[in-house]
Amino acid sequence: MSDVVVEPLAGLTLIHFTLTSAILFAIGLIGFVSRRNLIVMFLCTELMFQAAAIAMIAFGRYHLDVSGQVFVIFILTIAAAEAALALGLVVLLYRRRETLSAEAWSELGEP
Amino acid sequence: MAPNVLYTSCVLGAIAVYLLLRPGHRAVKTVGIVLGLGALGWVARESTAALGTPAEGLPTPFFAVFSLIAIASALRMITHHRPVFAALYFVMVVLSSAGLFLMLEAEFMAFALIIVYAGAILITYMFVIMLAQQAPVPGQESGEAEYDVIPREPAAAVAVGFIMLALLSETIFSGTPQLPPPPTANEHLTASWELLNALPDRVEDAVRREVPDFESFVAEPSDRVRVIDGQAYVDIQVAGVREPQQLGLPPEVLPENIERVGLALIADFPVSLELAGVILLMAMYGAVVLARRQIEASVLDEGGGAR
Repeated sequence: MSDVVVEPLAGLTLIHFTLTSAILFAIGLIGFVSRRNLIVMFLCTELMFQAAAIAMIAFGRYHLDVSGQVFVIFILTIAAAEAALALGLVVLLYRRRETLSAEAWSELGEP
Repeated sequence: MAPNVLYTSCVLGAIAVYLLLRPGHRAVKTVGIVLGLGALGWVARESTAALGTPAEGLPTPFFAVFSLIAIASALRMITHHRPVFAALYFVMVVLSSAGLFLMLEAEFMAFALIIVYAGAILITYMFVIMLAQQAPVPGQESGEAEYDVIPREPAAAVAVGFIMLALLSETIFSGTPQLPPPPTANEHLTASWELLNALPDRVEDAVRREVPDFESFVAEPSDRVRVIDGQAYVDIQVAGVREPQQLGLPPEVLPENIERVGLALIADFPVSLELAGVILLMAMYGAVVLARRQIEASVLDEGGGAR
């Protein structure tokens, strides 16, 4: 019976994981705002998804509840759908302007 | 922990990220790296001191290694000038957060993350980077586009990001003590055993393995397993014996991580599961529509005598 690990986050606390997740989220936000390449901007949104997933799983572990992990499955689904659509759009946009710069589309219209 | 420590280290980290973001000399970047590491180490030291973690007083070395790799590669990802390398550093972030998931006993999610993120989504990114490759400009041998080298408003971006980080971390430090205490060992064990009431076949298999001449259960499937002081029992009817017998279940009958996730997914969130399927279908449909339109455009171009 003793091999079932129940000590909450043995030696670590919830704060360690939520702080890591907050730092990753902030880095993703900074990247999304400051980078000008469309592909890298979408990569930064994936980084923010990743940070949210770490927080969800840490909270689930704290309460010894698997709903956190189930939510991460949905995050993966949304991330996959977003990547498929966003990257399809990026390829279309690239074909039109021959550049990946986000500023090429700041006017949102046909040239 | 004093909020001043948090705010000061956020300011230090902001300066470090700003120095790393803007194009500059190598020495400036080194200053940024040292500043960032210093801020991170300071927060780690102060928070461990304030939390008073037991025993060694330091977080588990695995946690330190994984989170450091994750943060460092995330920083390199947003500062690298080539999108391919940014994607590869994101793979590093995914792998190290899979390590963190393993530490949080989410084994299934760790492997699903590696397969779906590092295996599928990142390959899609690689394909798009390959498709949207810029032809190198003759005069410029580095091959890096101008929009990759010069960031847009790095100071404002860093300010926004670190103000949010300061607020978040302050909330984390002041809010976590108010959370309800985590379940005790005994409560956790009781809850795990009670999950078995939703898995009657699993209980029956285990009982058949233990008792060869098992005949039938006394109780209905929904309240078959009784938990007394962390140990689970079932009442069974054995062939040739009139009285019902009590049988203790061995610990390997307990559902594992992947079984618990699957049970929660099917039993607790069936509508969300269906909706996730619809979202994936819509995304596939959208991607097909986008691809189709683009072929029509190129056919139109050729028909119009453009080339």
